[in-house]
Amino acid sequence: MTRWWEGRELSTVAILAIEIAFFAWYLWPPANRTHPFVNAANAVLILKYSSIYGIAAIGAAMVIIAGGIDLSPGAVIALSGVVTGGLFVGSGWSLTASALAGFLTGAGCGLVTAALVVAVGLPPFIATLGVMGIARGAGFIITEGRYFDVSSRLPADWRPLGLPIDWTSPLLMIGLAFVFQTLMIRMQWGRAVFAVGGNETAARYSGVRVGLVKASVYLAAAMLAAVSGIALTIVQGQGKADLAMGYELDIIASAVVGGASLAGGRGSVVGAVLGALIFGVLRNALPQIPGATFYDRLIVGLVVIVIVVMDQVLQRRKRVDS
Amino acid sequence: MAAAVEFRQIGKSFGAVAALQDVTFAIAQGESHAIVGENGAGKSTLLRILVGGVRPDRGELRIGGDAVTLNIARDAMARGVGLVHQEMLAFPNLSAAANIFAGREITGRFGWLRDGEMRDRARVLLERLDVPISPDAPVESLPVAYRQLLQVARALASDCRTLALDEPTASLTAAESDRLFAILDGLKRRGVTLIYVSHRLSEVFRLCDRITVLRDGCYVDTFSRDAIGADAIVQAMVGRTLPPRASVAATTPGGEPLLRIDRLTRRPRFADVSVSVMPGEIVGLFGLVGSGRTEVLETIVGLQRADGGMLTVDGRVRTFRSPRHAARAGVVLVPEDRQRQGLFFNLNLRHNLALPAAEASGARIVRGAERGAASALLARWRIKASSVDATPGALSGGNQQKVVAAKWLAMEPRVLLLDEPTKGVDVGAKYEIHGMIRDRASRRAACLIASSDLPELLGLADRIVVMREGRLRGEVSATDAAAFTEERVMRLATTAS
Repeated sequence: MTRWWEGRELSTVAILAIEIAFFAWYLWPPANRTHPFVNAANAVLILKYSSIYGIAAIGAAMVIIAGGIDLSPGAVIALSGVVTGGLFVGSGWSLTASALAGFLTGAGCGLVTAALVVAVGLPPFIATLGVMGIARGAGFIITEGRYFDVSSRLPADWRPLGLPIDWTSPLLMIGLAFVFQTLMIRMQWGRAVFAVGGNETAARYSGVRVGLVKASVYLAAAMLAAVSGIALTIVQGQGKADLAMGYELDIIASAVVGGASLAGGRGSVVGAVLGALIFGVLRNALPQIPGATFYDRLIVGLVVIVIVVMDQVLQRRKRVDS
Repeated sequence: MAAAVEFRQIGKSFGAVAALQDVTFAIAQGESHAIVGENGAGKSTLLRILVGGVRPDRGELRIGGDAVTLNIARDAMARGVGLVHQEMLAFPNLSAAANIFAGREITGRFGWLRDGEMRDRARVLLERLDVPISPDAPVESLPVAYRQLLQVARALASDCRTLALDEPTASLTAAESDRLFAILDGLKRRGVTLIYVSHRLSEVFRLCDRITVLRDGCYVDTFSRDAIGADAIVQAMVGRTLPPRASVAATTPGGEPLLRIDRLTRRPRFADVSVSVMPGEIVGLFGLVGSGRTEVLETIVGLQRADGGMLTVDGRVRTFRSPRHAARAGVVLVPEDRQRQGLFFNLNLRHNLALPAAEASGARIVRGAERGAASALLARWRIKASSVDATPGALSGGNQQKVVAAKWLAMEPRVLLLDEPTKGVDVGAKYEIHGMIRDRASRRAACLIASSDLPELLGLADRIVVMREGRLRGEVSATDAAAFTEERVMRLATTAS
């Protein structure tokens, strides 16, 4: 049986652990003060914001493993958030119905991408660049520059499924990571995704339905982005068209840091979620270092490069050994 | 007068395989000289040595009387030697003129491109070759034949006095070939030395003054065109005695044909191809490069669409839309190119081996039992790998090829199509792959093997059908020992009847 955990996820966990240990040591407070980084409230905060990226990164990892690329998740997050917020606040729908509509909007974006890539045969970069513009633009048209104040309509002590609201999106992320990791490792569908990304020609000869596999991956990625968008709207308390600007690159970076190869055929859903956590910790801890405020983007960029270079060196060594 | 080109005791090995051994012959100034031989005879290696693509391990190459050491193609060009490749080496995104001068652009100060001059010179060259295209035409818009002619123009642009051509007509139609020959005749009249490598003896006899035969990397002889016939050339190419035919016939094929194709056509690659294969029968589909054999197999499993004809499997008329559709009906194609079509280098052997069977059976879940099944396949076919968790990249070529065969055989197909099943593998692996095919046939599968390796087919097949230029040209059966010979098959495959 395939190990559900591969070696690559363990090394991502190790990087995350080293990162946390570093900030715990570096930000160690003077005696009698609570640690600014290592405390329960901060942990929930990191998880809450990382989960927005993490849920979408599950989709990004699958797209990249299938040999594609998706530039649209940031825009899909915003559009599904806007639709959810607009119906919930503007049209007075129930939260469940609005969220479902937001989800279906995101899924619709995925179907458009799938049609463009599989039926029309556009390169994924171009197809998703176009969908990114369309989804983002649709968000602006719907809101006309306003924002929908979701928080005002949410019950003050709202506990979805009996859980504190801050826990919902992290738990959702963990659950979805588990589900999709299982799909990718234990189901024939996931194996076909790896096969298509590794060698599309051989996949066709081997009887894989290449078009269907690719379409399903783009659809799944858009659905996950929609879930992330609904979560973000609730977490931030507002539906806005300029939400999640530029997230697509952080989402792709999460998947790559988690072991996905842009050449296709390699990567991990759990790794992508861990990658999102690595960035979440950085984004949370760096601003707490005095004087580091202006360095955080630079450090995030360096971290991407260092981790991917390390990975390639290890891969090369592994190949020589075998 | 010194010979245009002289090979002296040239030797070259790739790993343990000797591609050329002690090859010595000369090509006179201004003659047109053919080099012929079977696949693997060393023709292409010799040409690559001539144009600086490969350095010989031993021996000496003389051009115009001088011993030379060519390190890169540029050195050969400087000596007036040009090559027209078998594959279309061209930059489809660039213009005709840019292709002609690619790598040797005419530049002014600071490397500034002198486009106007290149365009003018390209126009003159193309006119000289009677090629009616503009120097500005993007190459991707040109028909294949013109791309081939652009290579000729490219060679001439560097004042080439010796032009080598490697199977230049492999992808040309008859009319396009005629045009190429007219151009080559013109060059010959102007005193250009031609070195012509081809399988097609009719072309060789039409164009060349002398013919050199290579066999298994060794020089056999050089003949004058007027003093020899096609039959004698074929005999010289084949030459060796056949390995003893392995005892086949574990089961005698018989009954109704399991696979039948009837006047199958896909223009312009092949037309009116009809073959039947009985259960338990191994049929060879022999043809040289460009004969259309691969296309026939790919059309059967639905990778390409047929223009006409009928496919019958087990008495039912079928049209397969995709290899998946074919596999679900028990018809599989083991493809030719293991790197590109056969293997997933990102996945371990277990995944590689299990994929086709799992897809064909419509599996949803990856079963734990497949680890054992994959290990059993490795053991059964003696595939040397550290474990089922190794990736194909860690295996030798022969073992990779066995994995490719094993993954499709694991589906227990009723109709097994194989395209060059032993291309580029060592003798041991070849023998074992033959064992795999015989095993399948003994379980009453119908096997159709496309190959350009004639001794292989003669040793393996019950019958051989021969294709040339997209059409069936004949059939020989193992039961007719007098006809089941290399000479007979090669003659069907090379000479126009």
